Amino acid sequence: MNAEKSSRLELFAAIECGDTFWGSEIALLGAQETLIRIKDGFYRSSKAEKALSHLHPDGAPALLEKITDAGGEFIVPTDEAWPAQLNDLATPPIGLVVKGKVESLRSRSIAIVGTRNPTPYGARIASDFAAGFVDREWSVVSGGAYGIDTHAHKGALIAEGLTIAVIASGIDINYPAGNDRLFAEIAELGAIVSEVMPGTPAFPSRFLTRNRIIAALSVSTLVVEAAFRSGSLRTARDAAELMRPVMAIPGPINSPTSEGTHRLIGERAAEIVTSVHDAVELISSLELLV
Amino acid sequence: MSLGRSTSMGLVGLSGNAVTVEVDISDGLPHYNLLGLPDAALTESRDRVRAALTNSGEVWPNRKVTVSLSPAWLPKSGSSFDLSIALSILVASGSLSQESIDSTLILGELALDGSIRGVNGVLPALIAGHREQITRAIIPVANIDEGALLESMKIVAFDHLSELLIFLRTGVGTSATADQIEVDNQSLLDFEDVAGQTRARFGAEVAAAGGHHLLLIGPPGAGKTMIASRIPTILPPLTTEESLEVTALHSVAGTLSQRSPMSRIAPIVAPHHSATRVAMVGGGAHVIRPGACSLAHHGVLFIDEAPECATGILDSLRQPLESGTITIARSIGNITFPSQFLLVLAANPCPCGKFAGRGLACSCSSVQVRRYLGKLSGPLMDRIDMRITVEPVGRADISSQTLGEPSAVIAARVLAARAIAAQRFAGRGFTLNSQIPARDLRTDFKPDRQAMAFLHDELDRERLTARGLHKVIRLGWTLADLAGRNQPTLEDVTHAYALREGGIS
Repeated sequence: MNAEKSSRLELFAAIECGDTFWGSEIALLGAQETLIRIKDGFYRSSKAEKALSHLHPDGAPALLEKITDAGGEFIVPTDEAWPAQLNDLATPPIGLVVKGKVESLRSRSIAIVGTRNPTPYGARIASDFAAGFVDREWSVVSGGAYGIDTHAHKGALIAEGLTIAVIASGIDINYPAGNDRLFAEIAELGAIVSEVMPGTPAFPSRFLTRNRIIAALSVSTLVVEAAFRSGSLRTARDAAELMRPVMAIPGPINSPTSEGTHRLIGERAAEIVTSVHDAVELISSLELLV
Repeated sequence: MSLGRSTSMGLVGLSGNAVTVEVDISDGLPHYNLLGLPDAALTESRDRVRAALTNSGEVWPNRKVTVSLSPAWLPKSGSSFDLSIALSILVASGSLSQESIDSTLILGELALDGSIRGVNGVLPALIAGHREQITRAIIPVANIDEGALLESMKIVAFDHLSELLIFLRTGVGTSATADQIEVDNQSLLDFEDVAGQTRARFGAEVAAAGGHHLLLIGPPGAGKTMIASRIPTILPPLTTEESLEVTALHSVAGTLSQRSPMSRIAPIVAPHHSATRVAMVGGGAHVIRPGACSLAHHGVLFIDEAPECATGILDSLRQPLESGTITIARSIGNITFPSQFLLVLAANPCPCGKFAGRGLACSCSSVQVRRYLGKLSGPLMDRIDMRITVEPVGRADISSQTLGEPSAVIAARVLAARAIAAQRFAGRGFTLNSQIPARDLRTDFKPDRQAMAFLHDELDRERLTARGLHKVIRLGWTLADLAGRNQPTLEDVTHAYALREGGIS
């Protein structure tokens, strides 16, 4: 591990993910220099004091050991395995902890997101689309929650494809606990990705910063079912900001869990999609334009 | 003669034990002694009997009175022994002949002025007496309707102890008789009052035809209760035997006032979601009373706001759902009540009830929404065959002038479908599609090849469990019966699958 990567690891463990200030400092100065400046007290801000207090006393080797013990691998943008599509983000992650097949992150993928309380219709569509994309040699990216996330992963796994779960907690914390078997299967056949150190619990703001990674990892985001207020709408907006196509599945107009997708379609924020074939065609045509 | 003897009946659950009430009057200081494991209500009979006798113009024997209820080991409770004790005392004191009350079953509570009051459990007591070859019964006038159901028994019923005594001593006076009992087969409710709700109405029809348990999910005011309360009107009328069984259960529970004793309409019982386990399955300290699930025997058990039920209450229904009976264990032994019912649960989509339509007014978090229906436990939900979303009534339905399909038309289809099923299962020991054993579903009662292929496909995709597969096939049979097909087709099975899964479609 070179000095730059080990500095990144130290910063990764000390800084709350998605912080724009540190993101730009690292981009400008490099991780090594930023770390030195923090330690030297160059920044006279509470933010820097907080980062300083969070630095691990034993430095990078201890952190790396912690990650390895949890069965993970630490990657940074200079690594070959780093998914370059993440660099489109305004604040790319400092690094990522990956459990499972690291190379799967560079594969061509579709994000499938949606509500935690799907109707049988949404659950079926999520798993059907996941399986359909896998059959066309796409991999699937989603979160780790109950509902659409779970059904998308299951669909991909049943079709024996690659599936990637981007989670808001450390890779060793199964949240929600009811999905621990699913996580084990994903780690074996795909990858579990996290932007925090193992052992870190998930809390609400992390779900939102996590959503930007789901959007950035994939070529396009598909929203299956979402209520009026839903975290998956945030993922859709993140994807739109990255100029990645957003697709949404329509539902009955009297179904509360289709209200969010209908809003996306109504605001022209998402393309309406009614079959896997349509979806693939849509993304492929947009890819050609880029 | 200083000994009197009469016969009464002690009930344990639905089964009766003949109780001999013996009274001995002997010399000694005035004293009253009651033997035979009486409970509080029965111990107090001393004061009721004494007042009733003196207020009827009889003489209370101011000597040592010993009352023994045998068999002595059987705990006895309630006030229905009052009349029997009073008559035995009169026989023992020599003012009434023993012959006048021989081989007569005596039931009734005494008021202080001597009038005879109604008691619970008269019908099961009379049935038990009939089995013991007793041919005459003295019962309260209030229970005359129940008594009239047993045609082989001569019923004597008077309002007042003094009138009864005149009749017993001289044969003068006429016993009250039941009014011509109206066999009410006509419910006041009818499905034609339900506007729209095609899917929920159809769900109710399928539930009635195949005996499939049902969960209705919908916002408040959508009509869940309205639909559930009309399910008895499309169930086949009870047979005489079933009707007697239901009346006996209601008689023991003391809820007959809400139901005509000869009613052929399937009962519906709707316990509130705050009901305790005892209220739901039966129990009690002295008298073991049947609970809601037994009172709904041969009918419908409707639980509104099911997720609001306390933990474990709904799960206590698992035994009756499985076996059709409920067994209550107490120190005096195990008591079994019959309990075969159609379970209809209703639930709001979320705690605030507004997660329907566009869901904009709903103030629940997504976790609350998920947990709400999650309160219905897995094992219970496994026994529910259909989840039906009840949509709020639409604008067009509410102003529509045409009424919905009347109950009578639906009931005719249900009856026809049940007849087809019963014929198919002749000699197999079950009559409803919901009762087909799992192994028969793979052999004798398989849907057609295409339908099976679809189900296996769903099984491979892990969308259906083996138990779910069986449920879908059973439901498919009911749909085929209703449509007049002799085997479930792909169409029936996919329809059944959609009914089982629920959701808006």
